[in-house]
Amino acid sequence: MGFADAAEVRKYIGGIFEAAFEDPEIGPKLRDTGIVLQFTFTEPDSVVVVDAVKATVGDSADGAAPGAVMSMAADTGNAYWQGKVNLPLAMAKSKIKVQGNVASLLKLAPLGKQLFPVYIETLRSDGRDDLIV
Amino acid sequence: MTAQVTEIERTYDPVSVSPLAFWAGTWEQRERSFKFLRDERPVSWHPPLEGALMPPENDGVWVVTRHEHILEVSKNPQVFSSARGVMIEEVPDDINEAASSFLVMDGPRHLSLRRLVSSAFTPKQVARIHDQIRRQASAIVDGLVATKEGDFVSQVSKRLPMWTIYEMMGLPEDQRELAAHHADGMVSWADEDVAAGREPGEVLSEALVTLLQIGMEHTERRRAEPKADLWTNLIHAEVDGQRLTDDEIASFFVLLSVAGNDTTRNTISLTARALQDFPDQKALLLQDFPGRITPAIEEFVRYATPVMTFRRTATRDTVLGGQQIKEGEWVLMMYASGNRDERAFDDPDVFDILRPTNNHLAFGGGGPHYCMGNFLAKIQLTEIFDQLLHRAPTLRLGEPEYLTGNFVRAVKSMPYTL
Ligand code: HEM
Repeated sequence: MGFADAAEVRKYIGGIFEAAFEDPEIGPKLRDTGIVLQFTFTEPDSVVVVDAVKATVGDSADGAAPGAVMSMAADTGNAYWQGKVNLPLAMAKSKIKVQGNVASLLKLAPLGKQLFPVYIETLRSDGRDDLIV
Repeated sequence: MTAQVTEIERTYDPVSVSPLAFWAGTWEQRERSFKFLRDERPVSWHPPLEGALMPPENDGVWVVTRHEHILEVSKNPQVFSSARGVMIEEVPDDINEAASSFLVMDGPRHLSLRRLVSSAFTPKQVARIHDQIRRQASAIVDGLVATKEGDFVSQVSKRLPMWTIYEMMGLPEDQRELAAHHADGMVSWADEDVAAGREPGEVLSEALVTLLQIGMEHTERRRAEPKADLWTNLIHAEVDGQRLTDDEIASFFVLLSVAGNDTTRNTISLTARALQDFPDQKALLLQDFPGRITPAIEEFVRYATPVMTFRRTATRDTVLGGQQIKEGEWVLMMYASGNRDERAFDDPDVFDILRPTNNHLAFGGGGPHYCMGNFLAKIQLTEIFDQLLHRAPTLRLGEPEYLTGNFVRAVKSMPYTL
């Protein structure tokens, strides 16, 4: 099973960041990174843009050009946010392609780790056990 | 003697090893700080090391400078774990996992994975390729003596380790330079010169991803065309009835590339220079090369200490050197300092190839992670210095250009004339 459509991808993967911005601990740290990060997913095609400066999650980079673009299948994205994908190994296998500033993604790593359980919990509470890796 | 336990005082030591500037300085400058710490506060508390890859998650780190305490940490893996990373600055987990294989594991899993490759590195197995290493060392010095001047690192130091490790793996020759280049990238992220305007994380990521790719391609190559080499064995090896995954094998490739290249290379460069700076020692060695090279090599690696640091993480509250260490805290071993500890070595700053005892820490402080490649390194050092000292007597080395970083003591380049 996977995401049914682009709206679902945005709801769940975009949702991780919406929750992150609201988190009293993670939110400020995420904003401090100052990064504009674009995810370009396939199967289903969808785009999620996270603007850490404006604390927004959208579906296009209106205004600020993204500092990094990560492209991957939506399934890979789903697994990634559950802590099940190793970024350098996925890049070596071209499962994730990164354009732009990889260094900024590494700086996000510790925040990312804190978001994995939040994401899994969201899937669970929505009854989306089918998406849990 | 009763151990005095100091109450936990979380104030940072004024003699700080944390700034990047400390690691950009010279060995002698660092040694002055280390000596002070060894004498006054052998286990001391410092701010997290100024790193560039990600923001630190700790409030501070313990820095261990005396020989005896480094042994204690190394030999006590239940309390001082490698599984939470071994670099002394913060590195993302994903990178540790993909780059370090069994170096960042504990317990039975570490042992099983290490065993898979360690059989290729025993004295007996290494003796089998000794002749090949000798021939290769000879060919490298043929190349050197045909020139008048150049860069010693690229002309000599880098070649033998690169040839040896990749020959054992069976990596095609046209891949070796690229792989060795990225193995360098893995330890060079803090160096501005290497980064050439890129962010440290970009340097590291590019090096790592490329090495993983070369490793993965090599695994496919050997799966299609098995040969009598380390890689073919690894592909077919089983741990607890299970084959290694391609990801695990790729991570092995990165570990062996880094461990096999940078360490021995820098020992060759630094020792060549030490033998020039201490001509009496060079003469002593030449008087009886076969009889003296074995103890001399122990001094080469002690004096050079190409691996300056490694880290452990406390798995429970403990006491080290009178300090209370809390579970989860980082313990940084300064091999560079332990190898100059006057409690363990007479005249530690003197390069003395005939030291009667030389219990150095260049290959680690003992325990389960003790350098797996130490026999291989020693054979390479024996053969290259046999060739260099006997066939290039007019070799003159200029000033080494050092890499900035807190992990390996690396010489980027060093001019020579003949
Ligand atoms: C002069 C050259 C070398 C030096 C100074 C050196 C130093 C070290 C040090 C300090 C450690 C860590 C020890 C510990 O944590 O207790 C280590 C581990 C290791 N070394 Fe070396 N090394 C050298 C050459 C090599 C070579 C040629 C190889 C060949 C592949 C190699 C492979 C390894 C491996 C695989 C480990 C990890 C062992 C484990 O985690 O179980 N080393 N080395």
